[in-house]
Amino acid sequence: MTTTAISDALYDELVGILGPDGVLVDKPARWNRTRTPAPFPVHRWRELVPDVVVLPRTTDQVAEIVRLANRTRTPVVPRAAGTGLTDGATPMRGGILLDVKRMNQIREIDLVDRTVTVQPGINMLKLNEVLQPHGVMFPDDPASYPCSMVGGRIGTSGWSLIGARYGHTRDLVCSMEVVLPTGDVIRVGEGGGRKLRKASTGYTLKPLFIGHEGTLGVVTEATLELVPRPQVEFAAFFGYHDYQTAWTSTGALAKSGFATLAGVVLFDEWKLAYLRRDDEAYIEQPDWLKSVVAVAMYGNEAEVVPAAREIMRIGRESGGTYLGDEVSQGDWAARHDRYAIPLHGRLRSGEVVPMSWHCEDAALNYSVLPQVREEWHAIADRYIREYGIFDDWGMFAYTNGAYKPWGDYLVEIDIGIWEQKLDDTNWEAWLACKREITEVTLKHGGSISACHGASREGDVEFVPTELGGGFEVMKKVKRALDPNNVMNPGKYLLDRAYQGDQEED
Amino acid sequence: MFGFRLSAQRPPEPRRIKDDVVMRFDHVYEVSPDKMTVFRQQDLPAWDTERIVGSRWDHLDWMHRHFADKVLGMSDLGLREDGTPAE
Repeated sequence: MTTTAISDALYDELVGILGPDGVLVDKPARWNRTRTPAPFPVHRWRELVPDVVVLPRTTDQVAEIVRLANRTRTPVVPRAAGTGLTDGATPMRGGILLDVKRMNQIREIDLVDRTVTVQPGINMLKLNEVLQPHGVMFPDDPASYPCSMVGGRIGTSGWSLIGARYGHTRDLVCSMEVVLPTGDVIRVGEGGGRKLRKASTGYTLKPLFIGHEGTLGVVTEATLELVPRPQVEFAAFFGYHDYQTAWTSTGALAKSGFATLAGVVLFDEWKLAYLRRDDEAYIEQPDWLKSVVAVAMYGNEAEVVPAAREIMRIGRESGGTYLGDEVSQGDWAARHDRYAIPLHGRLRSGEVVPMSWHCEDAALNYSVLPQVREEWHAIADRYIREYGIFDDWGMFAYTNGAYKPWGDYLVEIDIGIWEQKLDDTNWEAWLACKREITEVTLKHGGSISACHGASREGDVEFVPTELGGGFEVMKKVKRALDPNNVMNPGKYLLDRAYQGDQEED
Repeated sequence: MFGFRLSAQRPPEPRRIKDDVVMRFDHVYEVSPDKMTVFRQQDLPAWDTERIVGSRWDHLDWMHRHFADKVLGMSDLGLREDGTPAE
């Protein structure tokens, strides 16, 4: 058993709540529950390890753990699948890591009022396998679809590949049971309703508990939206001679107005160069191909077929060349599962080395995409030349608005990082690169993140700037709900809410 | 002892497709060995390459079935393979 910083008394109380198999202190259990898939400061791993891991099964157990944490002033960090890209589930102060993976039960499938009620540790793919025979689907579809979990999606305010059609995570939660940082248990939804989609009673509190990265409590149950399982799927990938034409075509496709449109994605020249180098679907594509736009649609066949014909017309008339059914269908299917891809990158010499994947995301308006693209790549290129451990894997822009997919985009630049080479110097270089990218985002009126969250070093420094007076409200809310700063302390610069308190001095 | 002998399932010699890409099996691309000196390429028997590639296609087919009952192609829309109108 590895030595940890928690006392025997705290350990014994946790065992009393959960039983011995619900409390883990061995090194693999703790060290494996801190890192995230994005480039992680492996040279500083030991600074980010929890002291103890707990595996509750019930809301009462979670509430008891949080009350114990308050009494002993011990940090608590909730963690679901750990697939997030902003370190929300990475402890910064040790303490208790509250792993919700055993809270994976489906409580109710309501086919009359069209909801499903689940615990937070269930994965969407497994949930949809159960729902499929009933002809319904929970349509939250991130690139981590086979491995992420409902609790993490809520904690991050996740973004869905098919969100233009069905909404993103925040649009798909009817209500939630939340264990507050004091251990009190509340239900938040639309008014007091558990299965309502809209109410006007009291403050609208539900969004406050979506996207807080574990700083305002733990979701222990969620009642989620069900939609009819789609009869058909349609995906079309168009190729273009240049980015500008592809960008114009993206706008035309996104503004087509079809309700069955689930998403439009624009891949730039750097992304095409990366795909042509390392992706089997693109290696033999012709040299003229400089940019690609992908369109996906879901729904009833009677709706999708005529709409898809129109999408094909718009794609052709705006300069696109259809890349064929095989590329379109195969590439689209792979979009649901980007975490399964073994990753390697290239040095400037073209040599292959193992690299981890970092996608730096932002929310940006359609009008600024071409300019941001140039500025982001110029930043990446400077760091690639200087440090030799980074690789530019290109950019994409994906329709961002739920049900209104035309005005703003989730924009990402994917950068490979040779993680084995990380040390203090290279890590600081990476953070400096991120900061420059973020500065461009804010200069163009964007937001630091459309889907990952902004609680990670290199992003979080800019949150007060972006939110202005809103950040002051965040601090007041945090302090009011978490008087002892036990819930995921250190995240989102929210220690500033307690400045001047004795325990912070 | 369980294991495999590469010599019993030795893959075909690679043929060059592009400057940085070689191919041993149809539609299975590999980075040119010239570019894999820092991180060495593993030897894989033919059956294992076929298993990995087959699993990938199975996975993509499964993903289609998971999200919808039917996947539409150009023929379902009454269009040519290249997406243009038939008439």
